[in-house]
Amino acid sequence: MLAQKGHCREALPLLKKATPQITDKQLRYQTAMMTARCAMSLDQTESAVRALLLLNREFPRDPDVLYTTTHFYSELASRASQELAATAPNSTQAQQLEAEAFESQGNWDKATAQYRQILQQGPKTPGIHYRLGRIDLSKTPPEADDAKKEFEEELKIDPNNASAEFMLGETARQAGQWEEAIAHFSRASQLDESFAEAYLALGMSLNSAGKFSEAVTPLEKYVKSQPGDPAGHYQLATAYARTGRKPQAEHEMTLQRQATAKNPQQPH
Amino acid sequence: MLHKPPDGQNFFSRRYFLQALAAIPALHRVVETADQSPIVNSGSSFEEVPASVSGINWTHVNGRSPMAHLPETVGAGCAFLDYDNDGWMDIYLVNGGPCDFYTPPQPLRNALYHNNRDGTFTDVTVRAGVGGNAYGMGVAVGDYDGDGFPDLYVTQYPHSILYHNNGDGTFTDVTAKAGVAAPGWATSAVWFDYDNDGRLDLFVCHFVDYSKDKLKFCGDKLTGERSYCIPTIYDPMPCWLFHNNGDGTFTDVSKESGIAQSLAKAWGAVAADINNDGLMDLYVTNDTVPNFLFANRGKGRFEEIAMLAGVGVNAFGKPRSGMGVDAADYDQDGWIDLFEANVDHEMYSLYHNDKEEAFTDVALPTGIGEATRMLSGWGLKFFDYDNDGNLDLLMCNGHPDDKVDKKIPGVKYREPMLLFKNNGKNFRNISANSGPIFSQPLAGRGLALGDFDNDGAVDVLVTQNNAAPVLLRNNAGRQNHWLGVKLVGRKANIDAIGAKITYRAGEPERHQSKVGGGSYLSSHDPRMVLGLGQQMKLDWLEVKWPEPSGKSERFTNLPINRYITIVEGEGKWK
Repeated sequence: MLAQKGHCREALPLLKKATPQITDKQLRYQTAMMTARCAMSLDQTESAVRALLLLNREFPRDPDVLYTTTHFYSELASRASQELAATAPNSTQAQQLEAEAFESQGNWDKATAQYRQILQQGPKTPGIHYRLGRIDLSKTPPEADDAKKEFEEELKIDPNNASAEFMLGETARQAGQWEEAIAHFSRASQLDESFAEAYLALGMSLNSAGKFSEAVTPLEKYVKSQPGDPAGHYQLATAYARTGRKPQAEHEMTLQRQATAKNPQQPH
Repeated sequence: MLHKPPDGQNFFSRRYFLQALAAIPALHRVVETADQSPIVNSGSSFEEVPASVSGINWTHVNGRSPMAHLPETVGAGCAFLDYDNDGWMDIYLVNGGPCDFYTPPQPLRNALYHNNRDGTFTDVTVRAGVGGNAYGMGVAVGDYDGDGFPDLYVTQYPHSILYHNNGDGTFTDVTAKAGVAAPGWATSAVWFDYDNDGRLDLFVCHFVDYSKDKLKFCGDKLTGERSYCIPTIYDPMPCWLFHNNGDGTFTDVSKESGIAQSLAKAWGAVAADINNDGLMDLYVTNDTVPNFLFANRGKGRFEEIAMLAGVGVNAFGKPRSGMGVDAADYDQDGWIDLFEANVDHEMYSLYHNDKEEAFTDVALPTGIGEATRMLSGWGLKFFDYDNDGNLDLLMCNGHPDDKVDKKIPGVKYREPMLLFKNNGKNFRNISANSGPIFSQPLAGRGLALGDFDNDGAVDVLVTQNNAAPVLLRNNAGRQNHWLGVKLVGRKANIDAIGAKITYRAGEPERHQSKVGGGSYLSSHDPRMVLGLGQQMKLDWLEVKWPEPSGKSERFTNLPINRYITIVEGEGKWK
């Protein structure tokens, strides 16, 4: 009641104390939500985060939980960026944040200029060439040759950048250069073993190159980590089918159909 | 500690990039760099024959309405056929027409144009009686009763027509007697002999479950302005397979053949023997549901195998908007390959036949993927446009949404045609050097091949949605030698669909198969033109007739640079 009437300062300690002891699901939901809202209004970040973590854990698909979480993290990000701009306006981090903001708005020219400025100050700053490459690919028409150069530059600075390897692999795949694509995707998956899409892209390229038996392992890894993606099941079914494992292929194709049915294409 | 990629999963997901990269032009345009051989022809390989010269003044009318009925934007087809057997290709064009969602302000009709043998045509539709009677889509030409005169099957919404050719310049609507009305929205149709009984059967593509009452809203909900729907919103329907009973009637065998088990949103179809078992299979392109590859297992049964064969969906396992389609052995390895055109951002697919009923999409390494990335393709056909012996690829394009220019950057409603030249090793996009028509935006839909001037250079007819058709004269084919062959089956089906011609004029030995249908809503000159390059002599030619004949006949001492007719079993040409 205190919280509902806006007396968050008085209500918050009581809410924090009560929540862990409540077993009724609906009451627990309401208490945690009020805790989060009160904590947010009082700038008590830690309390807000704890309450939101509980809500996301116990009510993971609740629209109100998701909305409140988005709102809070967005607010948190906004405050942090303002503080960064105020305290270290010329830092690489501040410039990168600004460039990323331009990038998210689709303002490629301003984003590029900002990233270039970072490189002028620190030519070996990791991640910037990668960002520039991404921008090149986002343009209409995309500037793929420039993008490739940026990804290559990124790897000179940071040879462990799995994303840059991935992007080089994908540009090769798009050109139908299977062997080059396979090499890049292999490196990307080695650099980051949790990089699921690198396994998919590797398997896809191996299938395209007719190396079906080699495609099986990366694709099995992919479908294990991303069972809801029809792409993995389809590619794995192809690899199985072309290596004489028809029952497994048909099983994967069934999973592909099920995954597709869960994510139907949308009309206009 | 493992490096985490900068983009992570927060803002731009990796998958976003994997799929957004579908918009990246290839870094290395393999085909353009791999083949630097000079283009044989100078000037225009294809030259538009204006209506003022051809006399083809007919125009397609789609009846575009504010309600945006989907059939309005997808038609219509065309055909080259020699309806009067005078040895000259005539033209048939399909129009919109009356139906539940459209009442034409003025009467509309399809058009049959008689070839005057001098580059001009005369409209003979009224006398012939082939004007259509509903909202027309496409046409399939085949001599279903074996009387020597080609008949017309005109697909329409909401029912289709079979016109029997009376042999005297007139046709009779025999739909009711034949039992092939196919109630619903029929699109492409194919004549072929699926059971090898020597008679042409009929496959008809069914698009979605559609009627005026079932119209859905797609467009701007605020303004109420409608646009054409992506067909995900409509229910799929089974296609039709009609067995030819040999007495002028057909039996609907869609269910017992297995065809009807697969629910379609079918635009295009081609019949070809993809596994070399002597039985004609069917490849059917679907929109927003997986394509079908109906493998003919004999005894009247088909098995749908597209997914495991690798021709059902894209590399990500998702259905595309399959529209135009064709089949040919483009690399001469003895196995028929497939081609599928899709909508923008999906790329078209060139499926290489790897044998054992498995295909690999080679659109990316051949450069075809990149060239078609932003286009939407309909009518298309493999053929040897320059008679050098290699099968090239021609296609017409155009987006189905007439408002797309304002919606999707880089995508246009009217799009140019494309011509890919096959040099025997790979394809090269030579559109830019092949004539002004290849830079002219068209609302391309149907595409038919036919040598209307009998010069051995196969010409092209392209239909446009709500616009006049485009007749293209081929100027490139005359630069090489050729032989045109009309095959007439006796035990085999009279149109010799499924026949294979193998020939040698120097090196290498080549072959062409006569497929059923292909393209989109369209039908083609039944004669096969064999390109001989600069060879002055055809060493030999062998015809492998389809079953139930199955016979092979070999011919030597053949003429070149003319058309001949070979009748099955006669052992001679004329």
